[in-house]
Amino acid sequence: MLKIKNLHASIDGKSILKGINLNIKPGEMHAIMGLNGSGKSTLANIISGREGYAITKGDVIYQNESLLEKSPETRALDGVFMSFQYPVVIPGVNMTYFLKAALNAHRKHRDEEELDAIGFLKLIREKIKAVDIDEKYLKRAVNDGFSGGEKKRNEILQMITLEPKLSILDETDSGLDIDALKIVANGVNQYRSSENSFLVITHYQRLLNYLKPDFIHVLIDGKIVKSGDMSLASILEEKGYAWLEK
Amino acid sequence: MTLNHLQKEFDKMMNRDYFSDTVHPMRKEAFAQFLDLGFPTKKWEDWRFTNLSPITKQDFSLSEIQDAPQDDLDISAYEIEDTHTIVIFNGHLQNSISSLENGVSLMSGLEYLTHKNDGFTQAKNTPFDLLNTAFMDSGIALVIEKNMAIKKALRILFITSSTKNLMISPRVHIDLGNASSLSIIEHHVGDSESAFQNESVFVSIGENAKLDHVRIQSNANTVSNMANIHVQQEDDSHYSFFQFANGSQLGRLNLRAELKGEGAYCRLDGLALSTNNQHLDHHIIIDHQVANCISHQNFRSVLQDKSSGVFSGRTIVRKNAQQTDSHQSNKNLLLSKNAFVHSIPQLEIDADDVKCAHSSTTGALDEESLFYLRSRGLDILSAKNLLVQGFVSEMIESIKHEATQKMIQSHLQNWLNSNA
Repeated sequence: MLKIKNLHASIDGKSILKGINLNIKPGEMHAIMGLNGSGKSTLANIISGREGYAITKGDVIYQNESLLEKSPETRALDGVFMSFQYPVVIPGVNMTYFLKAALNAHRKHRDEEELDAIGFLKLIREKIKAVDIDEKYLKRAVNDGFSGGEKKRNEILQMITLEPKLSILDETDSGLDIDALKIVANGVNQYRSSENSFLVITHYQRLLNYLKPDFIHVLIDGKIVKSGDMSLASILEEKGYAWLEK
Repeated sequence: MTLNHLQKEFDKMMNRDYFSDTVHPMRKEAFAQFLDLGFPTKKWEDWRFTNLSPITKQDFSLSEIQDAPQDDLDISAYEIEDTHTIVIFNGHLQNSISSLENGVSLMSGLEYLTHKNDGFTQAKNTPFDLLNTAFMDSGIALVIEKNMAIKKALRILFITSSTKNLMISPRVHIDLGNASSLSIIEHHVGDSESAFQNESVFVSIGENAKLDHVRIQSNANTVSNMANIHVQQEDDSHYSFFQFANGSQLGRLNLRAELKGEGAYCRLDGLALSTNNQHLDHHIIIDHQVANCISHQNFRSVLQDKSSGVFSGRTIVRKNAQQTDSHQSNKNLLLSKNAFVHSIPQLEIDADDVKCAHSSTTGALDEESLFYLRSRGLDILSAKNLLVQGFVSEMIESIKHEATQKMIQSHLQNWLNSNA
């Protein structure tokens, strides 16, 4: 599904990623843990196509093709989704209108018939149940007046609506209380399947206890220094990251 | 347009028998004053950023009786549902296709002026008002008796259509008697190859009266449009104004609202969409003359290509205008690196117990929002258009007349699509 090969990247001449190798197969969930500034979000941003990064070496291969030259929308339509660490508030743009436009762009790309207003409403009413979002939020502007937790649930709503193959969750747990965390984890778990892959980026074990990823990688200073299973998360929670640094 | 040329046109007009001679002294006086002043130049404080060369570098001639339509006029292309429509074609009132409701009396502007001793003396001293008074076409006056609630919106459809360089000087008087209400839509359209439309509007709103005033400026983009709007409000009156402008190569709104009666409420909104070399301005003066009035200004522009614009909003709060509540907001969205806007908020406050707020922002589309939308699969053009819609939606949704709101929404869609 996703192969990251010896990826080196920098911002404004400052080297951030220094040789990342990662292989995610269909149905797998990988977690990347690390401290602030280790390069976690840079990796997520590069996969989803945010501008401003210079790729100095290596490649990101998704479904056998390099992603790096593709526009963010092409990546999205091909099934790459990122749940934003800081979802953007867009005043004046109605949630329902936005979600319908995004879904119909995907449906068109998949040669499926676009949904009309009624068809969309029927579908979205089902989806919002999974993330416990009240229907009134659909009438608001995108993320406008949403609490931190509601914004993150809205990200997961978009994920389960657009049905990506590869979902990147960039610190989706940050700023969530325990109830919201459970709802988000539930939404993600319901979406797991033998085909859907995940890359979960986090500081903490908390979310991972609910998601139970297949692999855990530790990112320090732009490199994966250790990989393992869930037991690695417990060790990190207990001992911190210092023992892994040189 | 040289002053010599204007003098010739003025003499022509004074010799036409179909222009009533009762207002000749008024015209003469105004024209003499105009000649003293001349056209504004960039040295004038309020005209620093408006390039008037589309008006001053061409010669325009009077709209004569033969410039009125000779056959039946088809206005179906400019339909707005649920309105009564009065048509003014190249400055000439078209009685045959105009319809009105009881309680509204329509007279020509000239009839009106001979009957009424109006109170807009100061306003008449601006060059374009003087020019309007000197050259005004038949003009119209709408007089609403007191205690009359006029249900159906009244539309004045201004069609400017000619292959000649016409100078058109529409003159509109709107008088609302105490406790009456009216919804009026000025609709400016046409396919003129070149024209100078210099419009003066005088609005007077009696006690407890309410006027909704929408102005749609969708002239052909070869037209230069000067709109000089003067509003006077009495006690507890209510005025709301909304301008949507996407037409004219040069379009400038000069609006002055005088709050003369306590408890008056004045809300002025404007949305301008410009492209190519268009220049669209909003010049607003709100004059709080007495206590306990509320005013709101909300003006937005979206600019493409090399287009430009000005927002100048001056809020005057006089010494005895205590408890004034005034709010002003100006936001400009630049869709091109070559577009630019001058935003000039001005507060002149002489009272000490008032609430006055203002804000102004000018910038490009937010990159982060754009990336967010694209990361959800929207192509770059759809994402941009959606953000522009988001920028203007609150303004368009505030238009109360449903068919008008719908039409402006579709103008916006066309504008977005034609810039694709």
